[in-house]
Amino acid sequence: MTTHHAPSTVGQTVRAVLKDVLALDADRVAAFDDDTALFGALPELDSMAVAGVLTEIEDRLHILIEDDEVDGEMLESFGALRRFAEAKVAARNAT
Amino acid sequence: MIDHYDWAGGREAMMRFGPTTGPIVVAVLPLFEEANRTRTFISGVLRRLAERHIASALPDLPGQGESLVPTENAMLAGWRTALASASTAAAGERPVHILSCRGGALLDHDVKAVSRWQLAPAKGEALVRELLRTSAAAGERIEIDLGNYNDEGNAVTIAGNTLSRTLIRDLNAADCVRDGAVRVVRLETDPAVADRKVAGAPLWRQSEPGDDPALADLLADDIADWIARCAS
Repeated sequence: MTTHHAPSTVGQTVRAVLKDVLALDADRVAAFDDDTALFGALPELDSMAVAGVLTEIEDRLHILIEDDEVDGEMLESFGALRRFAEAKVAARNAT
Repeated sequence: MIDHYDWAGGREAMMRFGPTTGPIVVAVLPLFEEANRTRTFISGVLRRLAERHIASALPDLPGQGESLVPTENAMLAGWRTALASASTAAAGERPVHILSCRGGALLDHDVKAVSRWQLAPAKGEALVRELLRTSAAAGERIEIDLGNYNDEGNAVTIAGNTLSRTLIRDLNAADCVRDGAVRVVRLETDPAVADRKVAGAPLWRQSEPGDDPALADLLADDIADWIARCAS
């Protein structure tokens, strides 16, 4: 079965993962925009939680994130993480 | 009730729930940190099964939970042997149904079970990748050749667990039992194949142990129906 995610769907998935894995309040996550700072700004997102968030994103979007792709930049803000995930999904659909 | 079981490697604790007759569910928690995050929830499911007159047992595995065995001595084969011993000790001649969650579904290969009910079963490969990633995210990248069984390096410490390299390699190659009567239930956010998808958050990924009583109710009903169907 092939599933295609429109960009907005990827953003919704990333938002849902942050809510589910970090056990954040739904209203708080709904208010996230591209400039919302994540790593270093969200106390819930410690280094242990980073692994859970990335693995859950992988599972839900059917993508594979290489460890050398994980850096401070992709986790800097909600927008950066969303764009990273969208690029991964686009690359998967292109193959 | 707190009971215990003996296996070739020693004695471990085992929680017992429900009636002393009829079929018995042997529950297997996820591995490592995920076990701590789901113990409350899975125990809740077992209490609900008891309310539905279905017995269950939740054994501690060697090197996990309250076990006195050092975590670095834990081996996949040992876990499988221990779980088979726990199942025999808990059930005697009663029919056994396995309830496993995540990596727990990698451990029941040696159990003589009528059926297997799996919540979000995970491949060993995926669990190992997440373990190594957790370690890398904490700034302690672990060098391990997952295919090289001749590498007899020291045990590694990942997120507070000291694990042997053999265990990590064995887990990496491990998969769930898929033969016989198997029912797979996953969260609706998980795109992998399942017999049923249910709404809920992945408690095994949350750093603070959580609970979901509504999901526990729903799953207890699902398991009770499944056991009744397997018996008929």
